[in-house]
Amino acid sequence: MTKKKWIPAVIILAIAAVVGGVAAASFIAKRNFVEDIYEGEGVTSTFTLSEYNENLEGTVADATVYVLQGEEEGASLLVLGGTHPNEPSGHMAAILLEENATVEVGTIYVITNVNNSAFTHNDPLEGSPQYINFTTSTGETRTFHYGSRATNPIDQWPDPDIYTHSSGQTLSGSETRNLNRCYPGIEDGTITEQVAYAVTTMIQELDITMTIDLHESSPEYSVNNATVAHENAMSIASEGVLNLQLEGISMSLEPSPVSLHGLTHRELGDFTNTYALLMETGNPSQGRLRGATNEELVLTGEDPCYEIAYDLGLLYVDYSSGSLPIETRVGRHLQGIIEYINALNNNSEDQLVVTGIPTYDELTADGVSLGDFLL
Amino acid sequence: MVAYFIAFAVMIGIFVVGCFVAKLPVGVSMMLAALGGALVGGAGTDTIRLMVEGEFGYVDTILTIATAMVFMKVIEDSGALDALSSLIVEKFHRFPAILLILIMLIIMFPGMITGSSTAAVLSAGSIMAPVLALMGIDAVTSAAIIAMGGLLGMIAPPVNTVALVICAGIDVPYVGFTGPLLLLTIPLAIIFVLFLGYRKAKNLDYETLKPALEKQNEVRKQYGIRIYIPFAVLVILMVAFKVLQIADDIGMPLIFLISAFVGIFTGKKFNVFKLVTDAIRTAAPVMGILMGVGMFIEIMTYTGARGLVVITCLRLPQMLWLLAACISIPLFGAVSSYGAASVLGVPFALMFATLLGGDDVVVLAGLSLIVSVGDMMPPTALAGLFAAQITNVKPYTKVLKKCIIPIIVLLAYAAFFVANSNLIANLF
Repeated sequence: MTKKKWIPAVIILAIAAVVGGVAAASFIAKRNFVEDIYEGEGVTSTFTLSEYNENLEGTVADATVYVLQGEEEGASLLVLGGTHPNEPSGHMAAILLEENATVEVGTIYVITNVNNSAFTHNDPLEGSPQYINFTTSTGETRTFHYGSRATNPIDQWPDPDIYTHSSGQTLSGSETRNLNRCYPGIEDGTITEQVAYAVTTMIQELDITMTIDLHESSPEYSVNNATVAHENAMSIASEGVLNLQLEGISMSLEPSPVSLHGLTHRELGDFTNTYALLMETGNPSQGRLRGATNEELVLTGEDPCYEIAYDLGLLYVDYSSGSLPIETRVGRHLQGIIEYINALNNNSEDQLVVTGIPTYDELTADGVSLGDFLL
Repeated sequence: MVAYFIAFAVMIGIFVVGCFVAKLPVGVSMMLAALGGALVGGAGTDTIRLMVEGEFGYVDTILTIATAMVFMKVIEDSGALDALSSLIVEKFHRFPAILLILIMLIIMFPGMITGSSTAAVLSAGSIMAPVLALMGIDAVTSAAIIAMGGLLGMIAPPVNTVALVICAGIDVPYVGFTGPLLLLTIPLAIIFVLFLGYRKAKNLDYETLKPALEKQNEVRKQYGIRIYIPFAVLVILMVAFKVLQIADDIGMPLIFLISAFVGIFTGKKFNVFKLVTDAIRTAAPVMGILMGVGMFIEIMTYTGARGLVVITCLRLPQMLWLLAACISIPLFGAVSSYGAASVLGVPFALMFATLLGGDDVVVLAGLSLIVSVGDMMPPTALAGLFAAQITNVKPYTKVLKKCIIPIIVLLAYAAFFVANSNLIANLF
């Protein structure tokens, strides 16, 4: 190579090294970032998922389980937040529950980051923010991950062309890293399947009465502002939905499709004794019609493209206000949890008595922000 | 919305100036356009993180292209390509129509089991190119046949990655696609190869060809059956891992590398280091385009330009949605067909399947065929560019021109499926 060619080659390599270095620093910082999740006063103990699948021990996927145990024995509830870390209201609702609730009778288990690996990166091509921030009532800024729908490829790669679920169902290859397509899980499978296995085994061994998986969906997607319930959980779900509607919170009830495998509302209902429910609320920041993608969109849900889509009649949520703030979305989830606990108590001898869960009305009151409910 | 439009206009402006005025490589122009969009869109210190993250969107495809190119060079330099083409012509020269259809199915095969038009064009396409030449078909027509074979192979079952991308976007399992996808692709494959090639191939005279095949026949005599071993390894590994699923998928890059490694010992000797360097140098422009595409889409999403494009299409009257899909999806495919599947394919699938009550599977199958046309759209044009490259056609626009009628037929056929999805679903 001549000197004339060496010089530009060296310059380009140097620029590439700098760009790669800057990007790598950002990715490594995200990978190692520890969220500000505090243990609420109601938390009586914690353990990690590796107690139910030792293969997870020492891995990034070994998520913490917060236990809120009442003084009296009773029914139990598992709340799954962070199945899809690009659906932040599920994650934040689980954190608010863990930091605020106190259980008097029964036990609540909360996993705020059930697919913890997926919190450590963002989906390529989606332009997502890496973090979201909230200011608490004391003025402290608390920072949380905004993550990906799927497990980090650093932990599980490459994807097959087609993902074949243990039931034989075939899905897109990337769905092999989607926790909510991997239930009931495989003990020594992919890291995502190992997490699913740990959750399923935990429910079986602790004989957890009810499981609620918290999600968000694109406003143009038909399963929205909805609860999806396994057939065994229909009576509890229908009573809860009715009460939510009476309170003016729009919520539909969808039966868990028998033919769609790998999801919590199907497999946890089939493979354990738990009443399996999944809640969805509309989130413009994950939709495909959205405009500029940034932290503001995640927190406020204000988006001009969705305003147009709403006017065109293309959405399945009420977007007449031009926004879907995270307070509304988290409030829906928490009020849903309250109502499904009430419905469970009406349908079961074992009771679950809990106080302190922030309500929908509290979260959506004028001048209130989600940070006000964080410790 | 004005800010979204400004960001989009800046990105398009920089791309056009970079590509057509400054004559920069397409990938570099896309990178600069993304950089401009990020700065105008206010990405600030996040710019580098976003752009590098975007590149990762296509890292698997880039690995496949790099290794496929190494395999292609190995079979070319070892003499395997010459040997196989002369064998095929010798065996099937009496039935040119059947030979053409067979060639088309062979071109499609790698695409069918990988879901990648690039894999089809670079592996089977490169093997069939000399066969088409021996049949008397000119280079431009050969490139057109190979490119259309790549497109249809990518859409044909069992693996249609475009449909899989859309399935994931609307929570539809990839089940029940085999029938509709076969009905979509096989008739078109037969029609296109005969339309493009039969007129030239029907008068194939093997006796006059024989002297031209002397060199190839010598290779066959010298190395015997072992010259074909790399092809056999490629097919066996693909079938074993993709179709029979005997174990966890080892992925196309490793399959290409193993097959290429075997090729080092089965034919003419060559300098491995030089071959690999040449292969990567040949593939570099396309790999660069894909990296640029990743950055471009990431910044489009960040700035809101992507939402602007999608909502503009959806604002059209309902009666024009199908036309909008047939125009906007291939045009976006000029940036990336996988990007088009995700950005436009998913909303259109929701519109046709959910809002208009169409059959999920047939709508998705039809839309995936529309998406495939993106692989013919310059500047990325993965299928078309590689087909032109392996047949030594320059410029690529000659191939695109040759494919215009097949593309129009393909779009009309796909649109018919989407519009009549419930009718077609009743057939299965």
